[in-house]
Amino acid sequence: MTTYNKPLPQPNADDEFFWRGCKKHKFLFQKCLDCGLIRWPPSFLCPQCWSGNTTIIEASGKGKVYTYAVYHLAYHEGFKSDLPYVTAIIELEEGPHFLSNITECNPGDVKCDMPVEIVWDDITAEFSLPKFKPVRVTT
Amino acid sequence: MPDFGTAFSGLASDRKLTKSEKEVQMSLKDKYAIVGVGYTPQGRVPGRTAMSFHVEAISNAVRDAGLKREDIDGLICYRHFDSVNGEADITPYLVAQQVGIAPRMMSQEANCARSQLISALGWLEAGLCNYVVISYAYNPNADPSLFARIADNLTSNVFGQFGATADYAMAARRAMHVFHTGPETWKHIAVGQRKWANLNPAAQMYEQKVTFDDYYKSRLIVEPFSLLDNCLITDGGRACVITSAERARDLRHPVVTIMGVGGHNPSSSIEKSTIMAGPTGARESGKTALRMAGITLDDIDACEIYDCFTYTVEITLQDYGFFQSGEGEDWLKGGTIEPGGRMPVNTSGGLLSEAYFMGLTPLTEGVMQLMGRCGDRQLGPRTHTKEPQIILCSDNGAILQTHATTILRRL
Repeated sequence: MTTYNKPLPQPNADDEFFWRGCKKHKFLFQKCLDCGLIRWPPSFLCPQCWSGNTTIIEASGKGKVYTYAVYHLAYHEGFKSDLPYVTAIIELEEGPHFLSNITECNPGDVKCDMPVEIVWDDITAEFSLPKFKPVRVTT
Repeated sequence: MPDFGTAFSGLASDRKLTKSEKEVQMSLKDKYAIVGVGYTPQGRVPGRTAMSFHVEAISNAVRDAGLKREDIDGLICYRHFDSVNGEADITPYLVAQQVGIAPRMMSQEANCARSQLISALGWLEAGLCNYVVISYAYNPNADPSLFARIADNLTSNVFGQFGATADYAMAARRAMHVFHTGPETWKHIAVGQRKWANLNPAAQMYEQKVTFDDYYKSRLIVEPFSLLDNCLITDGGRACVITSAERARDLRHPVVTIMGVGGHNPSSSIEKSTIMAGPTGARESGKTALRMAGITLDDIDACEIYDCFTYTVEITLQDYGFFQSGEGEDWLKGGTIEPGGRMPVNTSGGLLSEAYFMGLTPLTEGVMQLMGRCGDRQLGPRTHTKEPQIILCSDNGAILQTHATTILRRL
Protein backbone atom coordinates (compact mmCIF):
# COMPACT_ATOMS: atom_id res chain seq x y z
CA MET A 1 0.00 0.00 0.00
CA THR A 2 1.40 3.44 -0.91
CA THR A 3 1.67 6.02 1.86
CA TYR A 4 -1.74 7.37 2.76
CA ASN A 5 -1.41 11.16 3.03
CA LYS A 6 -4.93 12.24 4.06
CA PRO A 7 -6.11 12.89 7.62
CA LEU A 8 -6.82 9.69 9.55
CA PRO A 9 -9.66 9.08 12.02
CA GLN A 10 -8.71 9.88 15.60
CA PRO A 11 -10.94 7.59 17.63
CA ASN A 12 -12.01 8.75 21.07
CA ALA A 13 -13.91 7.07 23.90
CA ASP A 14 -17.26 7.96 22.30
CA ASP A 15 -16.62 6.78 18.75
CA GLU A 16 -14.01 4.02 18.94
CA PHE A 17 -16.74 1.37 18.56
CA PHE A 18 -17.60 2.95 15.23
CA TRP A 19 -14.07 2.82 13.80
CA ARG A 20 -13.53 -0.72 15.14
CA GLY A 21 -16.70 -1.70 13.28
CA CYS A 22 -15.55 -0.02 10.08
CA LYS A 23 -12.36 -2.08 10.14
CA LYS A 24 -14.61 -5.17 9.95
CA HIS A 25 -16.80 -3.46 7.30
CA LYS A 26 -19.63 -3.11 9.79
CA PHE A 27 -21.45 0.25 9.84
CA LEU A 28 -22.36 0.60 13.53
CA PHE A 29 -24.56 3.15 15.31
CA GLN A 30 -25.87 3.69 18.82
CA LYS A 31 -29.56 3.02 19.41
CA CYS A 32 -31.35 4.20 22.54
CA LEU A 33 -33.01 1.25 24.29
CA ASP A 34 -35.58 3.54 25.89
CA CYS A 35 -36.86 5.81 23.11
CA GLY A 36 -35.47 4.00 20.08
CA LEU A 37 -33.55 6.92 18.58
CA ILE A 38 -30.64 5.83 16.37
CA ARG A 39 -28.03 8.53 16.67
CA TRP A 40 -24.95 10.04 15.04
CA PRO A 41 -22.54 11.49 15.99
CA PRO A 42 -21.98 9.18 18.96
CA SER A 43 -22.97 10.55 22.35
CA PHE A 44 -22.86 9.51 26.00
CA LEU A 45 -26.58 10.11 26.54
CA CYS A 46 -29.49 9.99 24.12
CA PRO A 47 -30.05 13.65 23.16
CA GLN A 48 -33.80 13.02 23.01
CA CYS A 49 -34.53 11.30 26.34
CA TRP A 50 -31.16 11.47 28.18
CA SER A 51 -31.11 7.74 28.63
CA GLY A 52 -27.69 6.13 28.82
CA ASN A 53 -29.23 2.75 28.05
CA THR A 54 -27.72 2.12 24.64
CA THR A 55 -27.20 -0.75 22.23
CA ILE A 56 -25.22 -0.91 19.01
CA ILE A 57 -26.97 -1.74 15.73
CA GLU A 58 -25.54 -2.38 12.29
CA ALA A 59 -26.96 -0.08 9.62
CA SER A 60 -27.79 -1.35 6.14
CA GLY A 61 -25.48 1.11 4.41
CA LYS A 62 -28.36 2.29 2.24
CA GLY A 63 -29.59 5.84 2.05
CA LYS A 64 -29.91 8.87 -0.15
CA VAL A 65 -27.94 12.05 -0.75
CA TYR A 66 -29.28 14.81 1.53
CA THR A 67 -26.85 17.37 0.16
CA TYR A 68 -23.36 17.51 -1.32
CA ALA A 69 -20.47 19.77 -2.31
CA VAL A 70 -18.04 19.54 -5.23
CA TYR A 71 -14.48 20.60 -4.37
CA HIS A 72 -12.50 22.49 -6.99
CA LEU A 73 -9.85 23.56 -4.48
CA ALA A 74 -7.80 21.29 -2.21
CA TYR A 75 -7.66 22.54 1.38
CA HIS A 76 -5.28 19.67 2.20
CA GLU A 77 -2.37 18.34 0.17
CA GLY A 78 -3.74 14.80 0.33
CA PHE A 79 -6.84 15.69 -1.68
CA LYS A 80 -5.13 17.51 -4.56
CA SER A 81 -5.04 14.54 -6.89
CA ASP A 82 -8.73 13.82 -6.21
CA LEU A 83 -10.04 17.16 -7.57
CA PRO A 84 -12.82 17.61 -8.37
CA TYR A 85 -14.17 15.40 -5.58
CA VAL A 86 -17.53 15.15 -3.84
CA THR A 87 -18.37 15.23 -0.15
CA ALA A 88 -21.96 14.48 0.74
CA ILE A 89 -24.29 14.09 3.66
CA ILE A 90 -26.08 10.77 3.40
CA GLU A 91 -29.53 10.39 4.91
CA LEU A 92 -29.35 6.77 6.06
CA GLU A 93 -32.50 4.67 5.91
CA GLU A 94 -32.18 4.15 9.69
CA GLY A 95 -32.45 7.94 10.22
CA PRO A 96 -29.04 9.45 11.00
CA HIS A 97 -27.21 11.72 8.60
CA PHE A 98 -23.59 10.75 7.85
CA LEU A 99 -20.96 12.89 6.11
CA SER A 100 -18.88 10.93 3.61
CA ASN A 101 -17.79 10.85 -0.05
CA ILE A 102 -19.62 9.86 -3.23
CA THR A 103 -17.43 7.60 -5.35
CA GLU A 104 -17.90 5.78 -8.64
CA CYS A 105 -19.92 8.73 -9.94
CA ASN A 106 -19.14 11.75 -12.08
CA PRO A 107 -19.37 14.83 -9.77
CA GLY A 108 -21.75 16.43 -12.25
CA ASP A 109 -24.15 13.49 -11.95
CA VAL A 110 -24.63 13.65 -8.17
CA LYS A 111 -28.12 14.83 -7.17
CA CYS A 112 -29.94 15.42 -3.90
CA ASP A 113 -32.17 12.46 -2.96
CA MET A 114 -30.13 10.13 -5.21
CA PRO A 115 -30.16 6.57 -3.72
CA VAL A 116 -26.71 5.44 -2.61
CA GLU A 117 -25.15 2.44 -0.91
CA ILE A 118 -22.03 1.87 1.11
CA VAL A 119 -18.68 0.94 -0.35
CA TRP A 120 -15.70 0.33 1.93
CA ASP A 121 -12.37 2.01 1.34
CA ASP A 122 -9.55 0.21 3.18
CA ILE A 123 -7.18 3.14 3.55
CA THR A 124 -4.57 1.77 5.99
CA ALA A 125 -3.95 -1.40 7.96
CA GLU A 126 -5.89 0.17 10.86
CA PHE A 127 -8.72 2.05 9.16
CA SER A 128 -11.49 1.52 6.62
CA LEU A 129 -13.76 4.38 5.56
CA PRO A 130 -17.44 4.03 4.73
CA LYS A 131 -18.04 5.76 1.40
CA PHE A 132 -21.06 5.74 -0.88
CA LYS A 133 -21.80 5.01 -4.54
CA PRO A 134 -24.97 5.37 -6.56
CA VAL A 135 -27.31 2.37 -6.37
CA ARG A 136 -27.16 0.74 -9.76
CA VAL A 137 -30.64 0.10 -11.06
CA THR A 138 -30.78 -3.32 -12.66
CA THR A 139 -33.64 -4.05 -15.02
CA MET B 1 -40.37 9.49 12.55
CA PRO B 2 -40.08 12.96 14.08
CA ASP B 3 -37.40 15.29 12.84
CA PHE B 4 -34.41 14.88 15.14
CA GLY B 5 -31.92 16.55 12.84
CA THR B 6 -32.30 19.92 14.46
CA ALA B 7 -33.65 21.19 17.75
CA PHE B 8 -36.09 18.80 19.37
CA SER B 9 -39.68 19.93 19.64
CA GLY B 10 -41.22 21.33 22.79
CA LEU B 11 -38.11 23.23 23.80
CA ALA B 12 -38.13 26.33 25.96
CA SER B 13 -37.36 28.36 22.83
CA ASP B 14 -40.61 27.10 21.23
CA ARG B 15 -42.79 28.13 24.17
CA LYS B 16 -44.98 31.20 23.91
CA LEU B 17 -43.82 34.02 26.12
CA THR B 18 -45.92 35.05 29.07
CA LYS B 19 -47.20 38.60 29.33
CA SER B 20 -44.64 39.51 31.97
CA GLU B 21 -41.78 37.99 29.96
CA LYS B 22 -42.83 40.13 27.01
CA GLU B 23 -42.99 43.20 29.23
CA VAL B 24 -39.46 42.58 30.51
CA GLN B 25 -38.16 42.31 26.96
CA MET B 26 -40.03 45.36 25.74
CA SER B 27 -38.77 47.44 28.65
CA LEU B 28 -35.32 47.30 27.00
CA LYS B 29 -36.55 49.04 23.86
CA ASP B 30 -34.43 52.14 23.14
CA LYS B 31 -32.87 51.93 26.60
CA TYR B 32 -29.29 51.39 25.36
CA ALA B 33 -27.27 52.95 22.59
CA ILE B 34 -24.13 52.40 20.53
CA VAL B 35 -22.11 55.56 20.91
CA GLY B 36 -18.74 55.00 19.26
CA VAL B 37 -17.19 52.97 16.44
CA GLY B 38 -13.50 52.16 16.07
CA TYR B 39 -11.83 51.41 12.75
CA THR B 40 -8.27 50.38 11.82
CA PRO B 41 -6.48 50.02 8.51
CA GLN B 42 -8.08 47.00 6.85
CA GLY B 43 -7.40 44.58 4.03
CA ARG B 44 -3.89 43.32 3.51
CA VAL B 45 -1.96 45.12 6.24
CA PRO B 46 1.53 43.66 6.67
CA GLY B 47 3.65 43.97 9.78
CA ARG B 48 0.83 44.00 12.32
CA THR B 49 -0.20 41.59 15.06
CA ALA B 50 -3.84 40.70 15.75
CA MET B 51 -3.44 42.30 19.19
CA SER B 52 -2.33 45.58 17.64
CA PHE B 53 -5.59 45.75 15.70
CA HIS B 54 -7.66 45.02 18.85
CA VAL B 55 -5.89 47.82 20.69
CA GLU B 56 -6.25 50.27 17.83
CA ALA B 57 -9.92 49.47 17.22
CA ILE B 58 -10.84 49.72 20.91
CA SER B 59 -8.96 52.97 21.51
CA ASN B 60 -10.52 54.48 18.38
CA ALA B 61 -14.02 53.42 19.41
CA VAL B 62 -13.64 54.91 22.89
CA ARG B 63 -12.21 58.16 21.51
CA ASP B 64 -14.92 58.25 18.84
CA ALA B 65 -17.53 58.18 21.59
CA GLY B 66 -15.77 61.05 23.35
CA LEU B 67 -14.92 58.78 26.26
CA LYS B 68 -11.69 57.92 28.05
CA ARG B 69 -9.91 54.68 28.85
CA GLU B 70 -10.99 55.04 32.49
CA ASP B 71 -14.67 55.01 31.53
CA ILE B 72 -14.61 51.46 30.12
CA ASP B 73 -15.85 48.88 32.61
CA GLY B 74 -16.90 46.00 30.33
CA LEU B 75 -15.00 44.18 27.57
CA ILE B 76 -16.30 41.53 25.20
CA CYS B 77 -14.08 40.01 22.52
CA TYR B 78 -15.34 38.02 19.58
CA ARG B 79 -13.77 34.58 19.20
CA HIS B 80 -10.24 34.37 17.97
CA PHE B 81 -9.09 32.10 15.15
CA ASP B 82 -5.71 30.34 15.38
CA SER B 83 -3.00 32.84 16.16
CA VAL B 84 -0.35 33.22 13.47
CA ASN B 85 3.45 33.53 13.49
CA GLY B 86 3.73 32.37 17.10
CA GLU B 87 1.65 35.28 18.48
CA ALA B 88 -0.15 34.63 21.74
CA ASP B 89 -3.81 33.64 21.47
CA ILE B 90 -6.08 36.63 21.83
CA THR B 91 -7.74 36.49 25.24
CA PRO B 92 -9.76 39.27 26.85
CA TYR B 93 -7.15 39.34 29.67
CA LEU B 94 -4.41 40.26 27.24
CA VAL B 95 -6.61 42.75 25.43
CA ALA B 96 -7.60 44.44 28.72
CA GLN B 97 -3.95 44.56 29.77
CA GLN B 98 -2.89 46.09 26.46
CA VAL B 99 -5.52 48.83 26.57
CA GLY B 100 -4.87 49.47 30.26
CA ILE B 101 -8.24 48.61 31.77
CA ALA B 102 -9.45 46.35 34.58
CA PRO B 103 -13.09 45.87 33.58
CA ARG B 104 -15.75 44.75 36.05
CA MET B 105 -17.04 42.30 33.46
CA MET B 106 -15.17 40.56 30.68
CA SER B 107 -15.88 37.67 28.30
CA GLN B 108 -15.10 36.10 24.97
CA GLU B 109 -17.22 33.66 23.03
CA ALA B 110 -15.86 30.22 22.25
CA ASN B 111 -16.28 29.25 18.62
CA CYS B 112 -18.96 31.44 17.10
CA ALA B 113 -21.97 31.73 19.42
CA ARG B 114 -23.22 35.25 18.75
CA SER B 115 -24.51 36.83 21.92
CA GLN B 116 -21.94 39.60 22.47
CA LEU B 117 -24.29 42.55 22.19
CA ILE B 118 -27.01 40.88 24.24
CA SER B 119 -24.45 40.05 26.96
CA ALA B 120 -23.44 43.70 26.99
CA LEU B 121 -27.07 44.73 27.50
CA GLY B 122 -27.32 42.28 30.42
CA TRP B 123 -24.29 43.79 32.15
CA LEU B 124 -25.63 47.30 31.64
CA GLU B 125 -29.13 46.36 32.74
CA ALA B 126 -27.74 44.68 35.86
CA GLY B 127 -25.94 47.88 36.76
CA LEU B 128 -22.59 46.09 36.66
CA CYS B 129 -21.23 48.24 33.82
CA ASN B 130 -21.74 51.69 32.34
CA TYR B 131 -19.67 51.45 29.14
CA VAL B 132 -19.03 48.12 27.41
CA VAL B 133 -16.63 47.69 24.47
CA ILE B 134 -17.01 44.85 21.95
CA SER B 135 -14.05 44.11 19.68
CA TYR B 136 -12.78 41.76 17.00
CA ALA B 137 -9.43 41.68 15.20
CA TYR B 138 -7.26 39.33 13.19
CA ASN B 139 -4.22 39.29 10.89
CA PRO B 140 -4.70 36.18 8.74
CA ASN B 141 -2.59 37.43 5.83
CA ALA B 142 0.50 37.33 8.06
CA ASP B 143 0.61 33.57 7.70
CA PRO B 144 0.24 32.13 4.20
CA SER B 145 0.08 28.59 5.62
CA LEU B 146 -3.06 29.39 7.62
CA PHE B 147 -5.33 28.15 4.85
CA ALA B 148 -3.52 24.81 4.79
CA ARG B 149 -4.01 24.43 8.55
CA ILE B 150 -7.79 24.40 8.34
CA ALA B 151 -7.60 20.65 9.07
CA ASP B 152 -8.85 20.37 12.62
CA ASN B 153 -9.06 16.66 13.39
CA LEU B 154 -12.78 16.42 12.85
CA THR B 155 -14.14 13.18 11.49
CA SER B 156 -15.31 15.15 8.46
CA ASN B 157 -11.68 15.99 7.56
CA VAL B 158 -11.11 12.29 6.96
CA PHE B 159 -13.51 12.57 4.02
CA GLY B 160 -11.99 15.80 2.72
CA GLN B 161 -14.55 18.20 4.23
CA PHE B 162 -12.70 21.38 5.26
CA GLY B 163 -13.72 24.90 6.14
CA ALA B 164 -16.84 27.02 6.13
CA THR B 165 -17.10 27.44 2.34
CA ALA B 166 -17.80 23.73 1.88
CA ASP B 167 -20.23 23.52 4.79
CA TYR B 168 -22.21 26.53 3.54
CA ALA B 169 -21.98 25.14 -0.01
CA MET B 170 -23.75 22.05 1.30
CA ALA B 171 -26.42 24.22 2.90
CA ALA B 172 -26.85 26.18 -0.33
CA ARG B 173 -27.04 22.98 -2.39
CA ARG B 174 -29.79 21.63 -0.17
CA ALA B 175 -31.65 24.94 -0.54
CA MET B 176 -31.37 24.59 -4.35
CA HIS B 177 -33.11 21.23 -3.95
CA VAL B 178 -35.84 22.50 -1.63
CA PHE B 179 -36.76 25.86 -3.20
CA HIS B 180 -35.96 28.05 -6.17
CA THR B 181 -32.46 29.41 -5.64
CA GLY B 182 -28.89 29.16 -6.93
CA PRO B 183 -26.36 31.36 -8.71
CA GLU B 184 -29.18 33.14 -10.61
CA THR B 185 -30.43 34.42 -7.25
CA TRP B 186 -27.05 34.94 -5.58
CA LYS B 187 -25.65 37.05 -8.41
CA HIS B 188 -27.92 39.90 -7.27
CA ILE B 189 -26.26 39.76 -3.83
CA ALA B 190 -22.72 39.26 -5.15
CA VAL B 191 -23.02 42.20 -7.55
CA GLY B 192 -25.35 44.45 -5.52
CA GLN B 193 -23.14 44.50 -2.43
CA ARG B 194 -20.02 45.18 -4.50
CA LYS B 195 -21.77 48.32 -5.82
CA TRP B 196 -21.96 49.56 -2.24
CA ALA B 197 -18.27 48.73 -1.76
CA ASN B 198 -17.49 50.89 -4.80
CA LEU B 199 -18.83 53.85 -2.77
CA ASN B 200 -16.74 53.03 0.33
CA PRO B 201 -13.05 54.04 0.08
CA ALA B 202 -12.22 51.84 3.09
CA ALA B 203 -13.72 48.73 1.45
CA GLN B 204 -11.30 46.08 0.24
CA MET B 205 -13.18 45.93 -3.09
CA TYR B 206 -13.59 49.72 -3.44
CA GLU B 207 -11.87 49.78 -6.82
CA GLN B 208 -13.14 46.44 -8.10
CA LYS B 209 -16.23 46.61 -10.30
CA VAL B 210 -18.18 43.36 -10.45
CA THR B 211 -20.76 42.52 -13.15
CA PHE B 212 -23.11 39.56 -13.58
CA ASP B 213 -20.70 38.32 -16.24
CA ASP B 214 -17.78 38.50 -13.76
CA TYR B 215 -19.88 36.54 -11.30
CA TYR B 216 -20.60 33.74 -13.74
CA LYS B 217 -16.93 33.62 -14.80
CA SER B 218 -15.70 33.58 -11.20
CA ARG B 219 -13.49 30.61 -10.29
CA LEU B 220 -15.31 27.68 -8.68
CA ILE B 221 -14.18 27.02 -5.11
CA VAL B 222 -16.62 24.48 -3.69
CA GLU B 223 -19.68 24.11 -5.87
CA PRO B 224 -22.20 25.60 -5.90
CA PHE B 225 -20.00 28.50 -4.66
CA SER B 226 -17.48 30.40 -6.72
CA LEU B 227 -14.99 32.95 -5.44
CA LEU B 228 -17.46 35.87 -5.60
CA ASP B 229 -19.91 34.03 -3.32
CA ASN B 230 -17.25 34.11 -0.57
CA CYS B 231 -16.47 36.77 2.01
CA LEU B 232 -13.07 38.39 2.35
CA ILE B 233 -9.95 37.59 4.33
CA THR B 234 -9.10 40.71 6.31
CA ASP B 235 -6.27 42.03 8.43
CA GLY B 236 -7.67 44.65 10.81
CA GLY B 237 -10.09 45.20 13.65
CA ARG B 238 -13.40 46.80 14.59
CA ALA B 239 -14.91 47.81 17.90
CA CYS B 240 -17.90 49.66 19.30
CA VAL B 241 -19.02 51.10 22.64
CA ILE B 242 -22.42 50.50 24.24
CA THR B 243 -23.98 52.50 27.06
CA SER B 244 -27.38 53.74 28.18
CA ALA B 245 -29.40 55.98 25.87
CA GLU B 246 -29.48 58.46 28.75
CA ARG B 247 -25.67 58.72 28.82
CA ALA B 248 -25.59 58.71 25.01
CA ARG B 249 -27.46 62.04 24.98
CA ASP B 250 -24.45 63.69 26.65
CA LEU B 251 -21.96 62.29 24.13
CA ARG B 252 -20.79 63.52 20.72
CA HIS B 253 -22.85 61.70 18.14
CA PRO B 254 -26.54 61.50 17.24
CA VAL B 255 -28.13 58.91 19.53
CA VAL B 256 -28.50 55.49 17.91
CA THR B 257 -30.46 53.20 20.19
CA ILE B 258 -30.96 49.46 20.29
CA MET B 259 -34.68 49.09 19.64
CA GLY B 260 -34.80 45.33 19.75
CA VAL B 261 -32.59 42.28 20.02
CA GLY B 262 -33.16 38.58 19.55
CA GLY B 263 -31.22 35.36 19.36
CA HIS B 264 -31.74 31.74 18.44
CA ASN B 265 -29.31 28.87 18.23
CA PRO B 266 -30.43 25.79 16.29
CA SER B 267 -26.92 24.47 17.05
CA SER B 268 -26.81 21.31 14.91
CA SER B 269 -23.63 20.88 12.86
CA ILE B 270 -23.93 20.65 9.08
CA GLU B 271 -23.65 16.89 9.30
CA LYS B 272 -26.82 16.65 11.38
CA SER B 273 -28.68 19.79 10.38
CA THR B 274 -32.09 19.72 8.74
CA ILE B 275 -32.52 23.50 8.84
CA MET B 276 -29.95 24.41 6.20
CA ALA B 277 -32.69 25.45 3.78
CA GLY B 278 -34.49 27.25 6.62
CA PRO B 279 -36.00 28.15 8.91
CA THR B 280 -32.66 28.99 10.45
CA GLY B 281 -32.20 30.78 13.77
CA ALA B 282 -33.04 33.99 11.91
CA ARG B 283 -36.75 33.12 12.07
CA GLU B 284 -37.10 33.14 15.86
CA SER B 285 -34.38 35.69 16.44
CA GLY B 286 -35.98 38.16 14.03
CA LYS B 287 -39.44 37.70 15.54
CA THR B 288 -38.07 38.36 19.01
CA ALA B 289 -36.26 41.54 17.94
CA LEU B 290 -39.27 42.91 16.04
CA ARG B 291 -41.56 42.21 18.99
CA MET B 292 -39.23 44.01 21.38
CA ALA B 293 -39.03 46.95 19.00
CA GLY B 294 -42.81 46.93 18.50
CA ILE B 295 -42.45 47.22 14.72
CA THR B 296 -42.89 45.14 11.56
CA LEU B 297 -40.61 44.62 8.56
CA ASP B 298 -42.44 47.50 6.85
CA ASP B 299 -40.74 49.86 9.29
CA ILE B 300 -37.22 48.74 8.32
CA ASP B 301 -35.35 51.21 6.09
CA ALA B 302 -32.22 49.15 5.39
CA CYS B 303 -30.53 45.91 6.44
CA GLU B 304 -26.98 45.05 7.43
CA ILE B 305 -26.95 41.26 7.14
CA TYR B 306 -24.12 38.95 8.21
CA ASP B 307 -22.90 37.77 4.81
CA CYS B 308 -20.20 35.13 5.09
CA PHE B 309 -21.56 33.84 1.77
CA THR B 310 -24.16 35.12 -0.70
CA TYR B 311 -26.57 32.36 0.30
CA THR B 312 -26.39 33.45 3.95
CA VAL B 313 -27.89 36.80 2.96
CA GLU B 314 -30.71 35.14 1.01
CA ILE B 315 -31.69 32.66 3.72
CA THR B 316 -31.48 35.32 6.44
CA LEU B 317 -33.73 37.78 4.57
CA GLN B 318 -36.09 34.91 3.71
CA ASP B 319 -36.30 33.70 7.30
CA TYR B 320 -36.85 37.26 8.54
CA GLY B 321 -39.86 37.26 6.22
CA PHE B 322 -38.88 39.79 3.54
CA PHE B 323 -39.98 37.23 0.93
CA GLN B 324 -41.47 33.74 0.80
CA SER B 325 -39.33 30.64 0.39
CA GLY B 326 -37.91 30.58 -3.14
CA GLU B 327 -39.00 34.10 -4.04
CA GLY B 328 -35.57 35.59 -3.39
CA GLU B 329 -34.63 36.02 -7.04
CA ASP B 330 -37.83 37.93 -7.75
CA TRP B 331 -37.39 40.11 -4.68
CA LEU B 332 -33.71 40.83 -5.35
CA LYS B 333 -33.80 41.47 -9.08
CA GLY B 334 -33.86 45.02 -10.43
CA GLY B 335 -31.39 46.32 -7.86
CA THR B 336 -33.53 46.03 -4.70
CA ILE B 337 -30.52 45.95 -2.37
CA GLU B 338 -28.21 48.25 -4.35
CA PRO B 339 -27.62 52.01 -4.16
CA GLY B 340 -30.95 53.50 -5.24
CA GLY B 341 -32.81 50.32 -4.31
CA ARG B 342 -35.92 50.06 -2.15
CA MET B 343 -34.25 47.92 0.56
CA PRO B 344 -30.52 48.68 0.76
CA VAL B 345 -28.53 45.73 2.14
CA ASN B 346 -24.93 45.75 3.38
CA THR B 347 -24.21 49.35 2.55
CA SER B 348 -20.50 49.21 3.42
CA GLY B 349 -20.00 46.32 1.01
CA GLY B 350 -20.36 43.89 3.91
CA LEU B 351 -18.22 40.87 4.66
CA LEU B 352 -18.32 40.06 0.95
CA SER B 353 -16.60 43.25 -0.12
CA GLU B 354 -15.83 45.70 2.71
CA ALA B 355 -13.97 43.71 5.39
CA TYR B 356 -14.45 40.61 7.54
CA PHE B 357 -15.01 41.55 11.17
CA MET B 358 -17.69 38.98 12.02
CA GLY B 359 -20.92 40.59 13.26
CA LEU B 360 -19.21 43.90 13.86
CA THR B 361 -19.03 44.67 10.13
CA PRO B 362 -22.84 44.79 9.78
CA LEU B 363 -23.54 46.23 13.26
CA THR B 364 -21.11 49.15 13.07
CA GLU B 365 -22.24 50.01 9.55
CA GLY B 366 -25.83 50.22 10.80
CA VAL B 367 -24.69 52.59 13.53
CA MET B 368 -22.63 54.77 11.18
CA GLN B 369 -25.49 55.03 8.67
CA LEU B 370 -27.93 56.14 11.36
CA MET B 371 -25.38 58.65 12.68
CA GLY B 372 -25.14 60.00 9.11
CA ARG B 373 -21.37 59.47 8.87
CA CYS B 374 -21.08 57.35 5.72
CA GLY B 375 -19.90 59.80 3.05
CA ASP B 376 -20.57 58.73 -0.54
CA ARG B 377 -22.44 55.62 0.55
CA GLN B 378 -24.70 57.50 3.01
CA LEU B 379 -28.31 56.35 2.81
CA GLY B 380 -30.66 59.17 1.89
CA PRO B 381 -30.56 61.64 -1.02
CA ARG B 382 -26.89 60.96 -1.77
CA THR B 383 -27.59 57.33 -2.76
CA HIS B 384 -31.19 57.88 -3.89
CA THR B 385 -32.51 55.85 -1.01
CA LYS B 386 -34.77 56.51 1.93
CA GLU B 387 -33.23 58.50 4.78
CA PRO B 388 -32.89 55.77 7.40
CA GLN B 389 -34.52 55.86 10.82
CA ILE B 390 -34.46 52.11 11.53
CA ILE B 391 -31.89 49.54 10.40
CA LEU B 392 -32.03 45.77 10.93
CA CYS B 393 -28.66 44.08 11.60
CA SER B 394 -27.89 40.38 11.80
CA ASP B 395 -25.09 38.24 13.14
CA ASN B 396 -24.66 34.56 12.40
CA GLY B 397 -22.10 31.97 13.37
CA ALA B 398 -20.85 28.48 12.67
CA ILE B 399 -22.91 26.90 9.88
CA LEU B 400 -26.24 28.67 10.44
CA GLN B 401 -26.02 27.31 14.01
CA THR B 402 -26.26 30.61 15.87
CA HIS B 403 -28.08 33.81 15.05
CA ALA B 404 -28.56 37.23 16.62
CA THR B 405 -30.65 40.17 15.46
CA THR B 406 -30.28 43.82 16.40
CA ILE B 407 -32.66 46.58 15.37
CA LEU B 408 -31.12 50.05 15.56
CA ARG B 409 -32.91 53.37 15.49
CA ARG B 410 -31.87 56.99 15.31
CA LEU B 411 -33.77 58.81 18.01
